[in-house]
Amino acid sequence: MNAIAYHDDDPVARRFDWSLWRKVLAFGRPFKRWFALLCMVAIVLAGCEVALPLIIAAVIDEVTIDPANARLGPHMLVFAVVCGANLVCVWLFIYSAGQIATGVGYHIRDVSFRKLQELDFAYFDRRPVGWLMARLTSDCNGLARIMGWALLDAVWGTAMIIGIVIAMLILHWKLALAVLVIVPPLAFICRHYQFRLLISSRAVRKANSHVTAAFNESIMGVRTTKALVRERRNFEEFEQTSTRMYDDSILNSLYAAAFLPLTTTLCAAGVGIALWYGGVQVITGSMTLGTLVAFLSFAGHLANPIQEMARTITLIQGAQASAERIQGLIDTEPAIADSPDVAASTQPEPDAIGRIDFHEVTFGYNPDAPVLRDFTLTVEPGQTIAFVGPTGGGKSTVAALLCRFYEPTRGQVMLDGIDYRQRRIAWLQSKLGIVLQTPHLFSGSIRENIRYGRTDASDDEVAHASRVVNADAFISDLPDGYDTEVGEGGSQLSTGQKQLVALARAILADPQIFVMDEATSSVDTETEQLLQAGIERVLGSRTSFVIAHRLSTIRNADRIVVIDDGRIVEQGSHAELLKRDGRYAELYRQHFVEEHLLSGAG
Amino acid sequence: MRGRRLLYAMAIVSLLVASAFSFAAPLILKVTIDGVIGQRPIDAPRWVQGLFESISGSLMLPRYLWVFASLLLAAAVAEGTFTYLKGRWSAFAAEAIARHVRDHLYDKLQHLPCRYYDDAETGDLVQRCTSDVETVRMFLATQVVELARVAANLVVVVPIVLWLDWKMAIAATAVMPIIVIFAIVFFLKVKRSFKAADEAEGSLTSVIQENLTGIRVVRAFANQAFECGKFDVRNSDHRDKDRHLYTVFCWYWSISDALVFAQMGLALFAGAYWVANGRITIGTLVAFWMIMGILIWPVRQMGRILSLLGKALVSLQRVNEVLAATVESDPSEPHHDLPRRLDGGLVFEDVCFSHAKESPVVRGVSFAVAPGETLAILGPSGSGKSTIVNLLLRLYDYDAGHITVDGFQLSRLPRQYVRSQIGVVMQEPFLYSKTVRDNVKLGRHEARDEEMIHATQLAAVHESIEQFDSGYDTLVGERGVTLSGGQRQRIALARALLQQPPILILDDAFSAVDTHTEARITEALRQRAGRYTTLVIAHRLSTLRQADKVIVIEDGAITQSGTHDELIAADGLYRRLWRIQGGPDSGSGAGNKQGDGSQS
Repeated sequence: MNAIAYHDDDPVARRFDWSLWRKVLAFGRPFKRWFALLCMVAIVLAGCEVALPLIIAAVIDEVTIDPANARLGPHMLVFAVVCGANLVCVWLFIYSAGQIATGVGYHIRDVSFRKLQELDFAYFDRRPVGWLMARLTSDCNGLARIMGWALLDAVWGTAMIIGIVIAMLILHWKLALAVLVIVPPLAFICRHYQFRLLISSRAVRKANSHVTAAFNESIMGVRTTKALVRERRNFEEFEQTSTRMYDDSILNSLYAAAFLPLTTTLCAAGVGIALWYGGVQVITGSMTLGTLVAFLSFAGHLANPIQEMARTITLIQGAQASAERIQGLIDTEPAIADSPDVAASTQPEPDAIGRIDFHEVTFGYNPDAPVLRDFTLTVEPGQTIAFVGPTGGGKSTVAALLCRFYEPTRGQVMLDGIDYRQRRIAWLQSKLGIVLQTPHLFSGSIRENIRYGRTDASDDEVAHASRVVNADAFISDLPDGYDTEVGEGGSQLSTGQKQLVALARAILADPQIFVMDEATSSVDTETEQLLQAGIERVLGSRTSFVIAHRLSTIRNADRIVVIDDGRIVEQGSHAELLKRDGRYAELYRQHFVEEHLLSGAG
Repeated sequence: MRGRRLLYAMAIVSLLVASAFSFAAPLILKVTIDGVIGQRPIDAPRWVQGLFESISGSLMLPRYLWVFASLLLAAAVAEGTFTYLKGRWSAFAAEAIARHVRDHLYDKLQHLPCRYYDDAETGDLVQRCTSDVETVRMFLATQVVELARVAANLVVVVPIVLWLDWKMAIAATAVMPIIVIFAIVFFLKVKRSFKAADEAEGSLTSVIQENLTGIRVVRAFANQAFECGKFDVRNSDHRDKDRHLYTVFCWYWSISDALVFAQMGLALFAGAYWVANGRITIGTLVAFWMIMGILIWPVRQMGRILSLLGKALVSLQRVNEVLAATVESDPSEPHHDLPRRLDGGLVFEDVCFSHAKESPVVRGVSFAVAPGETLAILGPSGSGKSTIVNLLLRLYDYDAGHITVDGFQLSRLPRQYVRSQIGVVMQEPFLYSKTVRDNVKLGRHEARDEEMIHATQLAAVHESIEQFDSGYDTLVGERGVTLSGGQRQRIALARALLQQPPILILDDAFSAVDTHTEARITEALRQRAGRYTTLVIAHRLSTLRQADKVIVIEDGAITQSGTHDELIAADGLYRRLWRIQGGPDSGSGAGNKQGDGSQS
């Protein structure tokens, strides 16, 4: 739903940014041949359309000048040829435009998607998923359409106008000039109205997104609305929203309603001029009747190519914002990437990660508001470290920094004494296994989701991993077992089940270092106990970081680190900290009661 | 509705008139070519001939050509004017209908019972209210008009062409039925390709969406390459399905174009043959040529329009399903003697409730709270605490037993009246995408700013709000500030306090508020004790202790009730918890903690 809100928010550019479009056009380079074909076909097609009135002229002259000896056969032949050429050209025209539009769309989307896979998390933090989605869907489609169709219309329109003008000038240059008087106002009207339509249709779309948001809100908040007895006021507010959409739509419809009549009237003026001035020429004998009819036809059809051209220009204008956003995305350099030195280095990376040091690390998602301050922590290989503390205190940030999803603003994270910025990101991340609190699953079967941890794992390995975390119990209860579809985002499973699948996935990856961010918060107590045994077995020899909700998970840690307000407040073992009766003891008591209640209390 | 029907009727009339004028041009041309340029008597009705004769005598003179040119222009202006009016009026009619439907839907949604929403999907409902309405609107605004245009053209054109020459009429329209049939068949056949392309796009979109929402997981397993591969499969599939669609349209447009050419060729050469024969005049041929041009575009559109008709009908039905759903009922005879503000005495007697066909959620719950008292409810999640709140708010209707407020049967009171007497703060409060000020004032719109600030201070959220960029005018939600769970809960509390309701319900309302702040709030509330009857659902004993009475609910039934002192004296869940938690002033913290460790 939200994606709607992210379309076309930017004002329409009035000025063409040529350098931008040159970059966008570069996406069409693989389709050079198709472009060439498209242009040729467009010219032939325009030729067909120009030829038609000429054939009529010839036929009329044939039957009016000397009706007794009229021979229609040759004209029929010419007509058939034009008809055939038209058929082939239309086919090729659409086909090549389709090849270009779909190909370019594929290409732009591919490049954008790959870029997104490289960008750092800070980039995603600043942009809602809906916004990014709109880039990869509507923006890409829009640009692709322009590359295919707009170009096609531009070539066709130009060829058509030139063809008509040349034909008219050759037939009767004075009459041609008289009729062409209507072209400047026609062009002006087309351009003006198309631009108006672009603006007003955006307004409609925007109003529509407000209406959609209002519906969404009314459904999501229906209980609150009822509890607060807000029905009438909400309705009054909605009436304003829907009236705004009504007004914008009416304006848009009125522009559209006025546009066509204006152009047809102008064309009628052209036809009138042709009839008046041309009629005199026919009567005085300086022009044939057929030529007059051809002129009438040309004048009547002048509007088409001009309309198309105006539409194309406006379309490109309207898409400039899309082009800017896409190009902006593609040009973004990931803030976290292997430095050139690291990338160039041929030295093999070490096999294992031993000691991990956080050395005076300061970090903030927003540089002005640090989340961690001078955070220092040393973890020996094989240790299990539990982070506890209030929400927003910085626990998850430590984990994110360790995974190098972000880099410290100040200070260093050292792996065996070497700053991790001197290592490859891919190397580090391949050593890590991360399980998050909100276990994101992908649509597909359970098996596919577990295998996500290591894409080349066999079915047996998948089953083994899920046995370790006791996920196989619920999986085998499902009708299709491991082949059960989890639905979009895992919607067919409960949060607890999703967490188990996510754990199995991490275990299958067999990482050297485990990071668990409240990974089992929604698993029921009984399963949790089973799970715990498995996890302990797995964690056993590995270095692991656990941000835990469950006391049982914390209690067995080698060291518990209490983090509040970006600093370490206390650290030590469970027993030590309880003895100290400080923050940990307080948190522990609080957790205990809640856990007791949530789990079904005694 | 009447106004819109009138507008629609006016649009249709304008369409007819415009259509009539559009066929004037070919006739004017015919007269001009034959009568003026060709210098022969025109075969027009007698009164037209008379008109010409009165202007120019029996012969059409070349110097009157400008008259015909002007007539041509005048007809175009008239046609244009009526076309515009048609567009204008049909837009007004269709937009007004669409707005009416949207308003109606919105109103409906607000009055549907909560049970309706238990089974409904938000996305689907929103789609019915937006894109389905849009489909219907498009149908009314454009497709109906297009169909009417074809009908109008037929009504106007048939007498004209028959009057001009019936053989020529057949030649100029013979292929058109084939064009229509071809288009209809094509659009029916191509539905599958459209659907395939739509589905390919849909699955591409969901792969992108899943990748972006799960970007952390992707990175966590360094599966970028795998993701790119998965994406590429969908992206290629999308491209190929689209290409297929283009190819299908290659055939459609080229064949349809060829049919149009065939139609034109037939008319041209048959006409030319008859002109050579002297059967028809050259003016007639030209007139037919133009008439064909007018007819052919709407005819080519027919197939597409008819195929959209089915879509519009489906959308209409989906919209109607929502409109036909039953809304919350209220007692038929309204109470006249209800006080503006209740005192808040609550009595539950053997109240039972179950969601449709499921085992009961609340079984035989009875308790009583005197006005101004505080009742705390304790119990594990899923034990039925929140259901009691929902029943009290009349969001659901209880199946058996009685609930009375100040002696009034709850089920006989109007729902909105009941709700206006209750202030409620839920665990996950819903805030509207309005400013903070508007959100706090939702419960009492006319409250002054000082009152609002007083409420936010009580709820310990005033300082946080002041720190937002625009203070109380900061927008909440995606386009404004993102609030933490604790901030949302506190703003919702301020909202409820500002209402000054006789009954206040706090449904685990401080779960995301830190302990320190919670203590501040509880203290502030305690000082105001007695102003409202309060129901507190909470886990923390510090909160429970301050209640006048506590009930413990397990599995939908009350297992214990009494004051704090009574409950710690008796064996049960409450005492066990109290022991574990080692109450703030129990003085035996260390011992209890040791106990915890060994207990678990």
